[in-house]
Amino acid sequence: MASEMRSIGKPTPRIDARERVTGQARYTGDVQLPGMLYARVLRSPYPHARIVRIDVSKAKAMPGVHAILTKENCRIQWSSGDSRNKRLLFNDPVRFVGDAVAAVAASDRHTAEEALQQIVMEYEELPFVLDMEQALAPGAPEIHPGGNLSPNNEGERAPETDQRGDVERGFAEADQVFEDVYISKHHNNAQMEPRVSVAQWEGSRLTVWASTQGISNCRRDLAKDLGLPLNQVRVICQYMGGGFGNKNQCHDFDLMASALAKETGRPVKLEFTRAEDFVAVHGRWPTKQYYKVGVKKDGSLTAIRMKAYSGMGPYRKGSGGVAGAQLYRCPNVKTEVYPVYTNMAVSANYRAPSYPQGVFGIESLMDHIAHTLGINPLDFRLKNMTEKYHDEVPYSSYGLRDCVTRGAEALGWRQKWHPPASDRGAQKQGVGMAMGYFGAGLGMSSAVLKLNPDGSLQVHVAVTDIGTAAKTTMGLLGAEAMEIPFERVSVLSGDTDRAPYSVGESGSRTTNYTGYAVVTAAEDLKRQLRELAAQSWSVAADAVQYSQGAVYMQDRPDRRTAIAEILKGNPDGLIAQATTDPKLKGVSRNSFAAHFVELEVDTETGDIRILKYVAAHDSGRILNPLTAGSQVKGGVAQGVSMALREELLYDQMTGIPLNPGYYGARIVTHGDVPDVEVIFVETADPYGPYGAKSVGEPPIVPSVAAIANAVFNATGIRIKELPITRSKILDAAPGVRLEGGRA
Amino acid sequence: MKSFVNVNPKSLDEAVAVLDRARAQGKKAALAGGGSDLLGMLKDHLVQPDLVVNLKSISGLEGVHREGERVRIGALTTLDEIARHPLLVERYAALAQAAGLAASPQIRNVGTLGGNVNQRPWCHYFRQGFPCFKNGGKMCYAVAGENQFHALFGGGPAFIVHPSDTAPALVALEAEFKVMGPSGAKIIPAEKYFILPREDVLRENVLGENEILAEVILPAAPSGLRSTYLKIRDRQAWDHAIVSIGAALEWEGGRCRKARLVLGGVAPIPWRVPNAERLLEGKSLGEALARQVAEAALAGAQPLAKNGYKVPLAKATVRRAVLSLLPAA
Ligand SMILES: Cc1cc2nc3c(=O)[nH]c(=O)nc-3n(C[C@H](O)[C@H](O)[C@H](O)COP(=O)(O)OP(=O)(O)OC[C@H]3O[C@@H](n4cnc5c(N)ncnc54)[C@H](O)[C@@H]3O)c2cc1C
Repeated sequence: MASEMRSIGKPTPRIDARERVTGQARYTGDVQLPGMLYARVLRSPYPHARIVRIDVSKAKAMPGVHAILTKENCRIQWSSGDSRNKRLLFNDPVRFVGDAVAAVAASDRHTAEEALQQIVMEYEELPFVLDMEQALAPGAPEIHPGGNLSPNNEGERAPETDQRGDVERGFAEADQVFEDVYISKHHNNAQMEPRVSVAQWEGSRLTVWASTQGISNCRRDLAKDLGLPLNQVRVICQYMGGGFGNKNQCHDFDLMASALAKETGRPVKLEFTRAEDFVAVHGRWPTKQYYKVGVKKDGSLTAIRMKAYSGMGPYRKGSGGVAGAQLYRCPNVKTEVYPVYTNMAVSANYRAPSYPQGVFGIESLMDHIAHTLGINPLDFRLKNMTEKYHDEVPYSSYGLRDCVTRGAEALGWRQKWHPPASDRGAQKQGVGMAMGYFGAGLGMSSAVLKLNPDGSLQVHVAVTDIGTAAKTTMGLLGAEAMEIPFERVSVLSGDTDRAPYSVGESGSRTTNYTGYAVVTAAEDLKRQLRELAAQSWSVAADAVQYSQGAVYMQDRPDRRTAIAEILKGNPDGLIAQATTDPKLKGVSRNSFAAHFVELEVDTETGDIRILKYVAAHDSGRILNPLTAGSQVKGGVAQGVSMALREELLYDQMTGIPLNPGYYGARIVTHGDVPDVEVIFVETADPYGPYGAKSVGEPPIVPSVAAIANAVFNATGIRIKELPITRSKILDAAPGVRLEGGRA
Repeated sequence: MKSFVNVNPKSLDEAVAVLDRARAQGKKAALAGGGSDLLGMLKDHLVQPDLVVNLKSISGLEGVHREGERVRIGALTTLDEIARHPLLVERYAALAQAAGLAASPQIRNVGTLGGNVNQRPWCHYFRQGFPCFKNGGKMCYAVAGENQFHALFGGGPAFIVHPSDTAPALVALEAEFKVMGPSGAKIIPAEKYFILPREDVLRENVLGENEILAEVILPAAPSGLRSTYLKIRDRQAWDHAIVSIGAALEWEGGRCRKARLVLGGVAPIPWRVPNAERLLEGKSLGEALARQVAEAALAGAQPLAKNGYKVPLAKATVRRAVLSLLPAA
């Protein structure tokens, strides 16, 4: 690793900021093709029903209607829509309100929509179930044959289990045992850009302009589900308007647009409404977490047991995991997670899919334990925090302790912490903290680098940049590795015909996977340059050195020959390709974080005002503090929203969601989000490019728990069910002390 | 949305004639002010008119005009203009504040006063198209359902709350509404404009199918009048009131001469609380009296399963609002 960084570590604005803010950026929704048709989707109004009759004749006869797909003429499987069951584009029975039953392509949007009204659907209603535990009770309506416990990774009807030590022995050794239940709700990714796809066939070749987090995987899935060779499918996404995990792989709208385009022989655009986006795609899985924790008088942990239910909706699109227990050192741990089918909206990936809800549970409970034992919550964490994975395997790099101590200092924890509900009067201030972690993966991706004869560099990568500034990061890594100015680098991305495989922007992996390939390919370019120079100078290759865009003889560093000189007479420049797949050796690799919140609760109105927010993160080396800082702030905004506002409300009688959309779900606005003080605890991770780990997802992880704990410290009210609404505060408030305490 | 014919009348009379004709022909017509709410309802199939009558094509329906000591506000005046208008900010603070706290800046830029007081309920069930009373059906789903945002007073058979922020302020300020119909103009006190579901479950006000709200008239602001609008909402923008109050108190020699307290977010209409008003009248105000007033205001509240929190919330809102109106010493 170069000791002195040129591009890395400097605040660098996004490579495409100007196009994005001036409206020049062409998003998928902006794509207009000659002769293009518009599609709309008809959806089930019932949470569970068999389709008795479909009559499309009236709709089909409408002028301007070109094609209608239903289960009767379209049997395409959407394989990434369910990892356990065969999920088609149009299913019978329908299993949630919003399950697609028909898609129409027409000359314009309104005609397509009017056609939907003309489709006659007859259903036979089936019993339905929304609650996870009720879904597992005997006699519950079966959503798939075999019952509502979704099979685990081995295909067994058993919970996903993780175990070490012996929890029963741990409880026996405990001085005190705590039991508690924590509940989180379904809420939507709520990315800005709605789902949209434009499909066009030219002969047997399909091009899809998608709004996807991963063009490579989108292409793979499209080819698979449509039975096409990979080279007959091209996926393009030049600018992407966000996804937070619900635009991985290919989606049903990509397949529907493709199928309608095939049927009509015309390009087809399919765009979802905001309400469709909320109910018909997926959000974060709701959970119910039962904990039992044993502790010694001195606050050391003897056992942690968690049994959790995750509501997956009727299709198994996500893991259903509930993470958090790993934050603590403890000899006896057992976690069991039951992913359950229900007739609610589908759940799957949303920024750190398994984490914020599980961390809300465990970090609320640990806060409660510290309080009960009379230990300052900060000291309790310092005593019990994880230092090795499963107390055994070292972490590749470890900054959790520094996150906690530096975050606490920045907030002024030692001065501000007080026993719960210390403030007199109705307005009560308090502080809260929580820790977080996120698995920082390694894996396979590719990059192609082209060094032009003038010394400028093109980076070809299949990233789409969902808001993480991935394009910029790829450019920075190319610039750093080649030791040339960032301005000399361009990034060509977002088109499967122009770039090799990339994992896609999910799992906070792009920098680690694709970035690694960029750096490796750059090493190859430098080798090629040295060899070319060695050839023309008739010396051994290892006598030639490269630095900052020039080569020189090892013993003559003052006589530098620029790239342009070396590549003279070489019209194509140099090309290097790398496919990398680094593996961990005897270590576990995580990003870490600790968040600290100071807030005020008005116990008469239930208003919660965040006064100060500190987010300390160990994401390894920070490649671009500007965009990494934005990731942290965005994650905190979503955490605040999850903690205080969001919940997809269901009418229990009909199984219909009541508040889909930005307005109804009361997603926070700018005015509701606090200023966030971001602290990066930079560790140099030996596996990531230039020491980087994951930064995209971790910021939402501790946020919810930190806020909940601050509410407790302010009021003495422990809210165990998200979101922490005004009604929950006010329902508990009569028991809150208004007199006494500190002045 | 269903196709419709857009009509651009040049005058109120012409607009009324269009409405009247449509009614005679059994056609449905909808009025559009700024369209900020109507368009969404059209797209969601909540209203399916045959014609949309665009009020913006009529000139003279906008602006804040002084007329002697009274103030006339055209129905097409935007919420943003009302929120900023110096005369309103100074003399009729409750209205200016209510307009400024409604919805979001974008909506306030196009949304009109007429549209604001005539907006349909924002009950989740109604807006999701449930076949509820308000959508012409036979039940109120909120009664046994998600009723955390529903009515404490005046409910039945529908339990919606009136969504308008400006309405409680206008009732508190004793505004009058000028309504144009086939037989000309009539003046209706703001308080009489809004009606409970038990009077007509399909409407929130007295306006007939062939009538248009043309103007809102504010009476002369008496000396010693202080008014405010206090709104509790979950978000700092873009959120209807969970609970709110339009309060107008007239002071004379340190005592309250007259009080008008009108709650929002608790009933299907702006909800006046005369018993609480009477407690204030003739008295000088302190913390203890403010608490009594708040108790009186919420006396008789009938919470549903999930909206009981609104009772203490509304009490705090009433207390804080009246205390904020103490006369300058
Ligand atoms: C997301 C969202 C959030 C909102 N939040 C709030 C809020 O917090 N507080 C609040 O008070 N309001 C809120 N509103 C409502 C908003 O204030 C209204 O949309 C706006 O004031 C309506 O004005 P408009 O002129 O656009 O009405 P339009 O959309 O044109 O009309 C609304 C309704 O009023 C009728 N109407 C319009 N003008 C007249 C007239 N002159 N005579 C008779 N009937 C008429 C229409 O037929 C229609 O039924 C919100 C709206 C939205 C969409």
